[in-house]
Amino acid sequence: MSPTDNLQAKIQQEITELTTSVSGLVESFRKLQNPLAESHRKVPQATNQLDKISEQTEAATSQMLDMIEQITQREDEIIKDLGVVKQKAESGETTEIGALADVLTVKATTNLNDAYAIMEALQFQDITAQQMDHAASLLEDIEGKLRHVLTNVSGDEAPEKLEEPAIQKKKRAYDPHADLFNKTTNQEDIDSLFQNPKQQPVE
Amino acid sequence: MKILAVDDSPTMRRIIINTLKRAGYEDVVEASDGKDALAKVEIEKPNFIITDWNMPEMDGLTLVTTLRSKDEYKNLPILMVTTRSVKDDIMEAMKAGVNNYIVKPFTPETLKAKINQVLAG
Repeated sequence: MSPTDNLQAKIQQEITELTTSVSGLVESFRKLQNPLAESHRKVPQATNQLDKISEQTEAATSQMLDMIEQITQREDEIIKDLGVVKQKAESGETTEIGALADVLTVKATTNLNDAYAIMEALQFQDITAQQMDHAASLLEDIEGKLRHVLTNVSGDEAPEKLEEPAIQKKKRAYDPHADLFNKTTNQEDIDSLFQNPKQQPVE
Repeated sequence: MKILAVDDSPTMRRIIINTLKRAGYEDVVEASDGKDALAKVEIEKPNFIITDWNMPEMDGLTLVTTLRSKDEYKNLPILMVTTRSVKDDIMEAMKAGVNNYIVKPFTPETLKAKINQVLAG
């Protein structure tokens, strides 16, 4: 074999190896495409959920603060009125005590109702907890896809840190559409559906 | 009347129990998921169940289906209280055998009205 033939054979071998290597690279990129596209889609979803949690927590907190402010204002008035009742009782002016007691009863009842309304508003915790579980689940999915991508890129030399994290994943049960303010079907439509099962609720 | 309140959120259970007590229902027992509820049903023999849908271990829909498959619980009143407001979900719950359905967040008036409605048959 002449030196030229040798060189030609070597070049041919190099080109073959290069082609195989490029084919492998193309295949690797193809494998990476799906998980990366899915991660790309899920990141905005998780961001939206986190934004929603922030907005709805703010709204519920504000609603509760409004009620607490009213309760404390009424409590101040009750304390002041009780002072007047005591004064009148001590000085023997008992005629107005009955009317003052009625006012105090109204204020105390309103405070009790507002306290229950705060309890009602605290339902936001269950709803935002489900929204957080949804966001966490999306982030766990993204983490899984990225692990897959990194493992493919690293091949057999996958670093140790790519091993499954030691933290045990929480069992999540959530409604991905849980919302404090927007209900897809309102209570009236649900009621009419239960009253007449054959009837379809209004969309 | 003994009511079993089933919800995986301790906050929601407290809210439901307080709302029920204010409405005059003092005898309330609680369970944290469907599996726990099935055990409590056997022990506590409630007259009424209020259940959430999304719960770990066993969800509310499976709980309803399981109870309805047993002769002794075919007529046990069940009210579902959940965040799920999609029409198909409501239809599915209805098909499973719930007697009524409330979407969270609910008002004490709605809860009381639905209990009375279910009890009135």
